[in-house]
Amino acid sequence: MKSILRFFSSVKLAIVLFIIITSASIVGTLIPQGQTLPEYTARFGQLADLFTRLQLTDLYHSWWFIGLLFFFALNIIICTLTRLIPKLNRTFKPKRVFEPKNINTLKIKEKFNKSWSLVKTKEALKKEFLTKHYRLHENSKENKTYLLARKKIAGWFGADIVHLGLITILTGGIISGIGGFKKNLTFTQGDILSVPQANFKLRLDKFETEYYSNGNVRDWKSTLTVFEEEKPLFSKIIEVNHPLSYKGFVFYQSSYGWNWENPSLEIWVKKRNEPSFFRKLNLKVGEKIKLEDEDLIFSVAYFIPDFFINEKNEIISRSLEPNNPAAFIEGWQENEKIFSGWIFSKFPDYARIHSQKETNLSFELKDFTAGNFSVIQAVRDPGVNIIWLGCSFLMLGLALAFYWPPREVKIILEESHGKTEVTAGGIASKSKDALQAEFETVMTSIRRLK
Amino acid sequence: MNESTLFLIAFILYIVSAFFYFAFLFTKIKKSAQIGFGTVFVGFIFHTVALILRTVESGHAPFTNMYESLSFLAWASIIAYIIIEGKFKIRKAGPYFMLIVIALMAVASSPLMPKEATPLVPALQSYWLWLHVSVTLLGEAFFAVAFITSIMYLVAESKEKKGKKHSISSKKLDSISYRCIAIGFPLFTLGGLVFGMIWAYKAWGSYWSWDPKEVWSLITWFVFALYLHTRIVMGWKGRRSAFIAIFGFLAALFTYFGVNYLIAGLHSYA
Repeated sequence: MKSILRFFSSVKLAIVLFIIITSASIVGTLIPQGQTLPEYTARFGQLADLFTRLQLTDLYHSWWFIGLLFFFALNIIICTLTRLIPKLNRTFKPKRVFEPKNINTLKIKEKFNKSWSLVKTKEALKKEFLTKHYRLHENSKENKTYLLARKKIAGWFGADIVHLGLITILTGGIISGIGGFKKNLTFTQGDILSVPQANFKLRLDKFETEYYSNGNVRDWKSTLTVFEEEKPLFSKIIEVNHPLSYKGFVFYQSSYGWNWENPSLEIWVKKRNEPSFFRKLNLKVGEKIKLEDEDLIFSVAYFIPDFFINEKNEIISRSLEPNNPAAFIEGWQENEKIFSGWIFSKFPDYARIHSQKETNLSFELKDFTAGNFSVIQAVRDPGVNIIWLGCSFLMLGLALAFYWPPREVKIILEESHGKTEVTAGGIASKSKDALQAEFETVMTSIRRLK
Repeated sequence: MNESTLFLIAFILYIVSAFFYFAFLFTKIKKSAQIGFGTVFVGFIFHTVALILRTVESGHAPFTNMYESLSFLAWASIIAYIIIEGKFKIRKAGPYFMLIVIALMAVASSPLMPKEATPLVPALQSYWLWLHVSVTLLGEAFFAVAFITSIMYLVAESKEKKGKKHSISSKKLDSISYRCIAIGFPLFTLGGLVFGMIWAYKAWGSYWSWDPKEVWSLITWFVFALYLHTRIVMGWKGRRSAFIAIFGFLAALFTYFGVNYLIAGLHSYA
């Protein structure tokens, strides 16, 4: 048991763990995480199998990586505790009696005789140290008086508070991992969806995309209404960086898209030999419209937002973005198909129409409107407040460790023949120069006092 | 005068100051170092005005693409250098330090870096952009100074071993490196990790996603944590500490620069 404790309390173990965790993390950034086996095989060939077996493809959630973090946490806890106990003793039960040899070995020290009584010298010293914000502990034994002046003692615990912060953060991480919940909710305008694991519902009232003048997206905004027991409670517009928080859930604007299943189209019909002829058709995919005076039935068979012909000569939509919208149109006369083909909204001159019968009509895909859907990510993360607490400890600890240097001054006073011998020494692990300066100011002013 | 002219003037002044600094190194004329420092300072003022102008013109923080953030890192490095110079009077580090600043400015002004200010994508529209990026880069600027003083330490140490005297003692350089890291490490922790986590939670819904940029900031943090533990607990100093500090800055540089170009991830802005 003792040897296990000693093993975990060693800083060497911490350093070995630093190096192992760092190396493992680097590996995780070199192998793309969370892809499919075929993707790994394409990229790494035969290694793919080994990678999957060693869980290198989901490294940060693998049992061995989490095991390493667990060892690391254990190391931090035991390391900190073994060093904490002596420090607590030193803080709350400081040695109030010290030997002159304790002082003689210090680098910052001074010894002089003052032609005052012990009490008067002591009071003068106390006053000086108090004005410099030291706390004083006084003790008398036999014919000697011992003064212990200390300040910024909290600085001793800087590293411990940093470690406490790290353990808190790791704990928060575990709680997030176990109790956390994340789900995408896909809304089209007007939808009411119940939030999983919650007793309320959400309605998407409105979704809009705002653009900059150059066409880039400025923001996505979803207006959400919270429903409880079928009654609307309140509404909020959420956007990127401005989520909605309610009852432990947070709702984020995560993604968006178009619902291309049934867009409304606007098609302009013109006649090549008759410039005054113009018809505007508003229709949906599959809907048939009769052009009266032309004795023609017109319809749109398909609509594709991003027209593309792939290597196999198939027509596909390359994405769900309206990059190259195209409509496949058809025309009938008395149940006979007289033309069919693609028209493109961005390239009106490139219409690809096959005609069975001569026609002077031309068609342009002028406009299209599709419903948007908005993807809202619902998150419940019970660990997050613990993480923020841990971060506060972390920063407080760092501030104390680096910028709150503890100082201790030990003084022995001994009276003989009406004079007092002062033996004093200062201890500081950091900012020794600053303590030296302060120490010398105090001692010089005491010596000069008349 | 527009922003790019001011940037160019600052760049030129930094180069001029490096000349004076190097002249000082070879001729040991103190005046030359003073002119060098003065020129850096004037360049810094031009650079500051350039950054302010950029902010006013674009309407957002001056570090949303690679050009802007490189320029800002160079600017932050000058601040770090002025603070360290003011505290420790290490004129001899000036010339070497200016090389880093000039390198950053040169990469920033290379034609490969798009310079036009583009409107912010939705994810970057947050005041956390200011807090997260500026504090992180300032922390990294102090790592840059520690990098220079650590390299100088290695040179000074090898000279001292041969019995020659170096103008700044290796002991002083070692202690300056430590002091830089003592400033840089808390800043990097606050800006890079803590502010980063808060912003990630606000924008993406999770404070930590093991994104390559996040992992590399953690790696950088671990390297400097290693520096502090070996130094404070195990009493390592000098050579070994210098190597860790150098490695730490390289890790920070990779986090900032390498991850963007070599590894794809969530942080695909700058």
